[in-house]
Amino acid sequence: MTLPRRIAHLDMDAFYASVELLRYPDLRGQPVVIGGRLDQQPELQADGSRRYARLRDYVGRGVITTSTYEARALGVFSAMGVMKAAKLAPDAVLLPVDFDAYRLASRRFKAAAATIAPLIEDRGIDEIYIDLSELDGESVDLARRLKQAVKDATGLSCSIGIAPNKLLAKICSDLDKPDGVTLLTMADIPSRIWPLPVRKINGIGPKAGDKLATLGIATIGELAEVTPALLQANFGRSYAEWLHAAAHGIDERPVVTESEPRSISRETTFEHDLHPRHDRPQLSEIFTDLCRRVAADLERKGYLARTIGIKLRYEDFRTVTRDVTLPVATGDAATIRRAAGECLRRVPLEQRLRLLGVRAGSLCQRDAVGPEKGPTQAELPLTAD
Amino acid sequence: MLLFKGPRDQLLSPLQSVCGIVEKRHTLPILSNVLMEKDGEKLTLLATDIEIQITTQTPTIGADKAAMTVGARKLQDILRSLPESAEVSLDLDDKRLQLKAGKSRFNLQTLPAEDFPRMSVADGQPTKLTVSQKQMKRLLALVQYAMAQQDIRYYLNGLLLVAKGSELRVVATDGHRLAYAAEVLPETPAPIEVILPRKTVLELSRQLSDNDDPLEITLTPTQARFNFGSIELVSKLIDGKFPDYERVIPQHHSKIIKLSREVLLHSLLRAAILTNEKFRGVRIVLAPSSLKIISSNAEQEEAQEEIEIDYNAEALDVGFNVTYLLDVLNNVSNENIELHLADANSSALFVLPGNETFKYVVMPMRI
Repeated sequence: MTLPRRIAHLDMDAFYASVELLRYPDLRGQPVVIGGRLDQQPELQADGSRRYARLRDYVGRGVITTSTYEARALGVFSAMGVMKAAKLAPDAVLLPVDFDAYRLASRRFKAAAATIAPLIEDRGIDEIYIDLSELDGESVDLARRLKQAVKDATGLSCSIGIAPNKLLAKICSDLDKPDGVTLLTMADIPSRIWPLPVRKINGIGPKAGDKLATLGIATIGELAEVTPALLQANFGRSYAEWLHAAAHGIDERPVVTESEPRSISRETTFEHDLHPRHDRPQLSEIFTDLCRRVAADLERKGYLARTIGIKLRYEDFRTVTRDVTLPVATGDAATIRRAAGECLRRVPLEQRLRLLGVRAGSLCQRDAVGPEKGPTQAELPLTAD
Repeated sequence: MLLFKGPRDQLLSPLQSVCGIVEKRHTLPILSNVLMEKDGEKLTLLATDIEIQITTQTPTIGADKAAMTVGARKLQDILRSLPESAEVSLDLDDKRLQLKAGKSRFNLQTLPAEDFPRMSVADGQPTKLTVSQKQMKRLLALVQYAMAQQDIRYYLNGLLLVAKGSELRVVATDGHRLAYAAEVLPETPAPIEVILPRKTVLELSRQLSDNDDPLEITLTPTQARFNFGSIELVSKLIDGKFPDYERVIPQHHSKIIKLSREVLLHSLLRAAILTNEKFRGVRIVLAPSSLKIISSNAEQEEAQEEIEIDYNAEALDVGFNVTYLLDVLNNVSNENIELHLADANSSALFVLPGNETFKYVVMPMRI
């Protein structure tokens, strides 16, 4: 890695909420929470105005998907229970989640960014990394052009961080939100990165953050100062090495423009917790449906899977997973259902369940397997008597 | 109340015997604990993962009775990090367990002994047999590597244990290869067939000693019990029908080659370097007086090994997964082995010359 790289991280501002505000411009400036059900769709009144559902009227178990900056100012964040949020912001507007609309906006902003810089790593619905190393022009101009293209295509704003690698770019895009541009060089690390809390590094989660706090390490600068030996004594070897490198702003990961999925999964949280015995017919139907959807996903994306796994979450939020490896890769719903059923035999089923999921892993391309391609291992003629 | 007092290893080694099966993550928190029951001068330790339960005893002092459960891994970590010569005491004070050694002191949380799940003794007329620990350890080593792992045919994720006539047989297969070994018993037990779960087999083989001390095996249709030294291991069985192993073992392969195990092993190890990482295929090519091992990888690099053999029948070119061949050669100890082949679509049979008690069948790979 001799060439200095120039990597941008483009992060859409309050993405889902902003998409909704395009549709309901009258809500601009108000606290808005997304996470409702379909029956909380705004109603058009006789006088042309809309009537919105308010948080205070909400009853149920929903979780907030996202919220506008105004709602965040009241302490309402994603993943919070809607009932809990209603206590903090009873007057906030509640809108149902509309993933189709977000996916459409997502495709549009990515396509717009690609017209300016083609080397894009897709990081999910609302963020991308862009490799600008090979492009001419000042970083600040490129950032401005990217933002304008995104705005023209979607009507939405985004924040961009440009730095020598993905780790720093990601931190940067968050420094001046919303609608910001932040440029950073390695020389800026001591003044601009080191004062930040360690949790700003993507990869230091709540657990590692707590552990660092007990070691008296709160900022990235403090993390950069400690010896690798101290980190190794408290974390695994590879994580310790990564922490040390990250604190010094070192990250060699390339921008990956094509990625193969590792697994395809479907899961569902129930309206009410279900009991494995008493609600068996209902659970079994959901289970079969999940397997069908995984099979359909595999087919659509052109993969076969060799491992099938299940995920259960009990009423007390404990989560268990079980996997099984199949002798040959499959995309068939019935085979997936059988394999998943096999996994289910291996988990305790005394408690009520709140979530059930089915996962297909060890994926291979559908057209890459077949008796003609590659060596084939013969099977023993096993029969029971 | 004093539960234990004595040298570190008097507690650590029995603890290590029972705690190997404790799962790191389990849905029942108490299962990450070890149960300790003091009855006078005897301290019983017990751990379980619901499928397997291991119990052992160690001497202690005093006449009273007490019981509790405590985090197995933590206790083990503490004991391991104390000096080997340390004198350790365990004191139960209400719900806290205090461990003292020299100037070190640890207060640990406990959970009540009554809440600890124990496996009940299975019903049914048991079949009992006794072999030496060494014999069983050897039997397991001869076949366990062929067990399936997380296979959808759940009955393959274990080992078939058969008492038939005066023989004790063990069989394992993953659908691509099958290993069979037998040992003659001093007496003839009632015939029985059970499937031991994979984890039980690995744990048993880890714990058995390489000596002539007895291992008592008690089998019922749903449970297996193994008693050796001061250890008792009880395991649930896999409920299923194991495939008919006798039908899979070929009887009449005509191409028979005798080879030095080490020579073949080392040739295969070298050829394995240039196999395709995913498929690991090698070709075995037979010609008069010659056995060639040929491999190539995705980059078109090639390896060829040749071994001189006593062979005069027709030529043959057959592929195998080299891992399956290395497995058997690494796990038998004889100087020579015999390889029986038929054609490119049939299995290969490995046997030990002049010995009917070991057989290894492996299916070919079309390369």
